[in-house]
Amino acid sequence: MSGTALLYTDWLDEMEIIFESLLNGLLMGSIYGLTAVGLTLIFGVLKVINFAHGSILMVGMYAAYWCITLTGMNPYLAIPIVVPLMFYFGYFMQQFVIEPVFKVEKDVREPITVIIVTTGVWYILDNLALMIFGAKYRVVHTSVTGKLFELPGDIYLLQPKVYGFILTFISGLLLFWFLKTTLMGKAIRATSLDRDAASLMGVNQYKIYRTAFGIGTAVTGLAGCVLVPFYSVYPSVGIIFDIRAFIIVVLGGLGSIPGAILGGIIVGIIESVGAMYMPSTWTELVIYGLFLLLLFIKPTGLFGSKHDF
Amino acid sequence: MKALADSKANKYFLAAVLLIAVLIPQVITSPSIMQILILTLFYAYLTSSWNLVGGFAGVLPLGHSAFIGIGAYTSTILYLHYGLSPWFGMLAGGVLAAVIGVIIGIPTLKLRGAYFALATMAFGEGLRVLVENVDTIGPLKVNGPRGLLINLTGNSFIDYQFTSKASYYYIILALLLIILLITWLLMRSKIGYYLSAGGEDPEAAAALGINVPRYKVMAMAISCFFTALAGTFYAQMFLYFYPKSILGLDMSFEIAFIALIGGRGTILGPVLGALLLRPLNEFTRIYLGGILPGMHLVIFGLILILVMIFQPRGIQEPLTRLYRRILYRIKGS
Repeated sequence: MSGTALLYTDWLDEMEIIFESLLNGLLMGSIYGLTAVGLTLIFGVLKVINFAHGSILMVGMYAAYWCITLTGMNPYLAIPIVVPLMFYFGYFMQQFVIEPVFKVEKDVREPITVIIVTTGVWYILDNLALMIFGAKYRVVHTSVTGKLFELPGDIYLLQPKVYGFILTFISGLLLFWFLKTTLMGKAIRATSLDRDAASLMGVNQYKIYRTAFGIGTAVTGLAGCVLVPFYSVYPSVGIIFDIRAFIIVVLGGLGSIPGAILGGIIVGIIESVGAMYMPSTWTELVIYGLFLLLLFIKPTGLFGSKHDF
Repeated sequence: MKALADSKANKYFLAAVLLIAVLIPQVITSPSIMQILILTLFYAYLTSSWNLVGGFAGVLPLGHSAFIGIGAYTSTILYLHYGLSPWFGMLAGGVLAAVIGVIIGIPTLKLRGAYFALATMAFGEGLRVLVENVDTIGPLKVNGPRGLLINLTGNSFIDYQFTSKASYYYIILALLLIILLITWLLMRSKIGYYLSAGGEDPEAAAALGINVPRYKVMAMAISCFFTALAGTFYAQMFLYFYPKSILGLDMSFEIAFIALIGGRGTILGPVLGALLLRPLNEFTRIYLGGILPGMHLVIFGLILILVMIFQPRGIQEPLTRLYRRILYRIKGS
């Protein structure tokens, strides 16, 4: 009698642990999704994989780090400073670095040279950060760092992850609203569907590229702000998120914003639930394997449009 | 008539370059300079192999280090476990790499370029993570992150081990000449024309009845085969390797970018890229690495961006122009 009761509580405990890691995967996954939204947006409009994406995230993280460390402010108050800065960072990067190459190859729908330029930007940004800030891992202690929310049933969630989850959904909805209703949003969507037709309708395509790139980096900056309270900052931090973001973006469908967030959540859940059964390096392998399998079976991903592959 | 004279001059020029390349080990005795030269040729060989698919098929493979790794691990495991000569292992590794390249290529080369780039990248990284996490595959020892050590046998052709650097130099020089010859033959063959037609305008090529993806897969197979041979060469030269040294993103990217800076889709572009960038990379790393860590990569990134903005076809273009001009000067006088 007591034996079965014990088994039952064991089972309950295990369910609680699984539930907790599911929730944690959901939270962390949504933040992964947020790191990938900018990448998918830029791809959707420019048809270019931005290899500097991880470095942009790194820049955003350093910006947030210094904002918080120097002023001692609440970590989420850094957002209104970092996000506009990152918008202009991306805007001018597109204007002065990527646009010249883009114009040379404007007849090519998917210019490889542009991908290479973004990789050059990656090398420069990462190594400049190494030269300026050193290879040190920097951790910022904020009012939310290490704090937990306690849910009934002994379930603990890290506060900064919960805030990150909320911010992901707010920014996702805002972006969705912006693209659907505003004139600029419509112009961006038109350009991503058919850049020549959009140009003929009076849309200045280069301005759209700059704006889209700016929005992409701004969202990535937001992701940086969300990560800093619980993730250490170092010059090559972007690479980890880079590859993951590429996978997420293909999983969700290149160019799709809801797809990126959902793809992020899937990857997050695989990581956290998988970590209960195997070493974390193996979950990484599962994700790579899943990604290749997906490319073979359904390359459009979850929400990708047919004409984009 | 003029073209004929040009081709004659080209022949003399090529013969002179080849003669210098062959004579170098007789003149240079410093092992460290020989090492730099061997590595430069090694990279020239890798970028030329990459060029077969990255240059002619108009796609961007970013996981070629995986095939170097497949070559190195195949030949070394066959040698350590079954005592098979690495020369045989080299071919076995090449065939295995070609098969895997085809498996990856068939589904992804039909898609837009971005998917192929990401798939090859994920495959390369995935393979590195796999190898780092596996100690044994069945009876075969892989040794995870510690890598494999080949025991020293001294000078032995059958064991692919030589005491003099010059031997390795000649092996990699021969491999480089073979890949350049194959590139040259491929460019003038039906496959080459189909590929360049597919690269220019896939829809038009398909409308003419060319099965572009099929030829891309063929190019991929040849490229992977030759890339794997370099893996065996690396393993036999250093007699030790570990996953991070030959697998992984850095190597894949470096190969792709040296080829692109040199000029993809041309025979000599990738070689020129390696000849100019590898020594530059070595020297900036040696002289600046101590003071400013990462400076050499900032320079590399800057070169990458500047070349793409001002010479999107690579540095072979202005260099060819310069060569022509010098040729005219000589003939004019």
